[in-house]
Amino acid sequence: MRLLNLFLKHGSDTTFGIIVFILAIMPVLLAAGVLNGGSTILFLGKCISFAIVAIGIDLIWGYTGILSLGHGLYFGLGGYAMAMYLKLQATGGQITDFMHIGGLTELPLIWKPFLHAPGSLFLILIIPGLTAWLVGYFIFKNRVKGVYFSIISQALTWAACSIFIAMSPYTNGNVGITEIKSIFGSIKGSANQGNMFTLFYISLFALVLIYAISRFLVTRKFGKVLIAIRDGENRTYFSGYPVSRFKTFIYVVSAVFAGIAGAIFVNFNGCITPSQMTITYSIGMVIWVAIGGRGTIVGAVIGAFFINICEYNLSSGSTVEIWQYIIGILFCVTILFFKGGIVGLVQEKAPNFIAKIRDRKVKA
Amino acid sequence: MNLKKTLLTTLAAGALTAGIFGCGGEEEKSQATVKVGLLHSLTGPMAISEKAVRDAEVLAIEQINAAGGVLGKKIIFVEEDGASEPATFATKAEKLVDIEKVATVFGCWTSSSRKAVKPIFEEYKSLLWYPVQYEGMEASPNIVYTGAAPNQQIVPAIEYLIEKGYKKFFLLGSDYVFPRTANMIINAQAKAAGISVVGEEYADMDQTDFAAIISKIEVAKPDVIVNTLNGTGNVSFFKQMSEKNYTSKEYMTMSFSIAEEEVSTIGPSILKGHLVSWNYYQTTKTPENDVFVAAYKAKFGSNRVTSDPAEAAYDAVYLWAEAVKKAGSFAVDSVLSVIRSGSVEFTAPEGKVVIDGKNQHLSKPVRIGEVAEDGLIHEVFATPAPVSPDPYLTTYDWAVKAGLQPLN
Repeated sequence: MRLLNLFLKHGSDTTFGIIVFILAIMPVLLAAGVLNGGSTILFLGKCISFAIVAIGIDLIWGYTGILSLGHGLYFGLGGYAMAMYLKLQATGGQITDFMHIGGLTELPLIWKPFLHAPGSLFLILIIPGLTAWLVGYFIFKNRVKGVYFSIISQALTWAACSIFIAMSPYTNGNVGITEIKSIFGSIKGSANQGNMFTLFYISLFALVLIYAISRFLVTRKFGKVLIAIRDGENRTYFSGYPVSRFKTFIYVVSAVFAGIAGAIFVNFNGCITPSQMTITYSIGMVIWVAIGGRGTIVGAVIGAFFINICEYNLSSGSTVEIWQYIIGILFCVTILFFKGGIVGLVQEKAPNFIAKIRDRKVKA
Repeated sequence: MNLKKTLLTTLAAGALTAGIFGCGGEEEKSQATVKVGLLHSLTGPMAISEKAVRDAEVLAIEQINAAGGVLGKKIIFVEEDGASEPATFATKAEKLVDIEKVATVFGCWTSSSRKAVKPIFEEYKSLLWYPVQYEGMEASPNIVYTGAAPNQQIVPAIEYLIEKGYKKFFLLGSDYVFPRTANMIINAQAKAAGISVVGEEYADMDQTDFAAIISKIEVAKPDVIVNTLNGTGNVSFFKQMSEKNYTSKEYMTMSFSIAEEEVSTIGPSILKGHLVSWNYYQTTKTPENDVFVAAYKAKFGSNRVTSDPAEAAYDAVYLWAEAVKKAGSFAVDSVLSVIRSGSVEFTAPEGKVVIDGKNQHLSKPVRIGEVAEDGLIHEVFATPAPVSPDPYLTTYDWAVKAGLQPLN
């Protein structure tokens, strides 16, 4: 009974707590031999990074109504920043093979800041943040909104993707930065389980922290202003709020989250390519939020985990060729019939369900 | 209404559980089987090419099973979709070697997908069979490369052109690692032979407008275009050349990524007379190839064509089975030690292929072909004996002089 009340009052936080708990015991299960293969943990680590970027998208789309179809840009920037640091760790600060093939003889200037960990970690936050601020400042100040913003965001990520492909002596083009270990060294195989667990728990901690920051932001007055901007931007202007500053701020926050997510992703994935910056990839991120339920924060987390776990399991075996249809149908059904996504569905059904259980208990 | 919603909710919940816990997967665990992995893009832009390769692998597995399997065990395969995305390839490779615990993996097509999975096979000490010609400059101890190294495709093709008296080369490629490395090699080779390269252009992977590049070609007036375009770029480029009424008489081309599949997409009438370089064509005259082509068409349809990558993938499965038989074990380290002894060979549709013990590439014959009106490619030149693989081109003076070596 008490548990039910907890759900009614703090549904989001409780659900998030349960997700974190399940994630946290996964390494324990692996160590105990219940789970088969450490790569499950590595996969869940990637999902954690997807959940973080999804939270960022929920902040700007679900709460503020800014539909960004180009968040792959910030995810990619964070990812490349991390990968450049890790690559230099692998080569011992020397130039890489692709620079050599590209005709470079010494480390290019743009790679130099990534020689040391503190600077690199700082840049992982700063590069996406600064880029987002520049973009946001000019776009929101000029009151570009709605579909126009979405188009610009797509164009930006496309442009960045093309640049990263074209600058192959500096970025290794389509192949991207490969053959890198995580920030704690190798994380593959049972010999390196310790490193893997450290990385996993740190990532999980990052997820919890980012969830907490987001919940903090949206449950204050600040969050109410964001919702006001979403539901009536002009009215918010007339009420005297500096709407464009609010929008720029939340957009930067969201981009920094995406950058952090990209950095975590690279650690688990061991490579980054421009395909993480494509429009398709960026739209995929928005879909996670839509399926999970936007404007709830926890919905973004649920959506990111749900879709990625589905894809992971469905894109093999007997459904290997048709899995995209299954996921596609799922999207269509969600968008047509359950606008609130998974969280919306639960919010709609759960109160009745709980009431029924209560009635039964009372009768008994 | 309410019923409808409940129904939908149930459906959604069903899909949810199925998705989370994974449905399907022909789990047929028994003592008499051995599990291998197939890792190709079955969705996304690369699916059209990789499907043919995967089909050839399935065909080889079925043939081996029909003949009694390997070491008395039937081969079962687990398929994973790389979705034309290097990061997905990495995730899936890890799933295959770590969770499915497959004996070996046959997979990849693009260099970016191979580079993404390479560290995974190395760290898990597993084995990948890579079936596509590529740019070389790589020899991972955990990969066997069954496609051509540069000296088994690019270098002989350029030698052939030089011998035929072509003097002005124009290099055209897609903007990624294979064309860039190939052109680096061709430039060094041309320079050593005193051939002038009158232009070098790169097109975006999905570029469809070649007007600018064609006008550059018209200005440069090459007598042969060395073409490393990939995928859809080839279709647009050749269609736009033919719209200007340029045929192989005006501008001869030598292509490295046009096989039988691509010829049928672009149109044989457009490509008629143009040159290509591979190790195998559907028309290759060996008794093994007659059997292979007949079996491929019988299984997948008479309109399907076999191609060099498909044949290399077919060889890969047989070579693995051969190595396992010699090792008497499915364990990766014993299979690898047999491979490294240099004694694993297979009489393939392209002729006899042997795995080089040092660099784990195949020695294979090289064939220059000309596209005919019927959509098939006919051999116009073949090396008298199989060419030994040399991924780093260390046996070529001009390559060593030009410093075409990767780091380390």
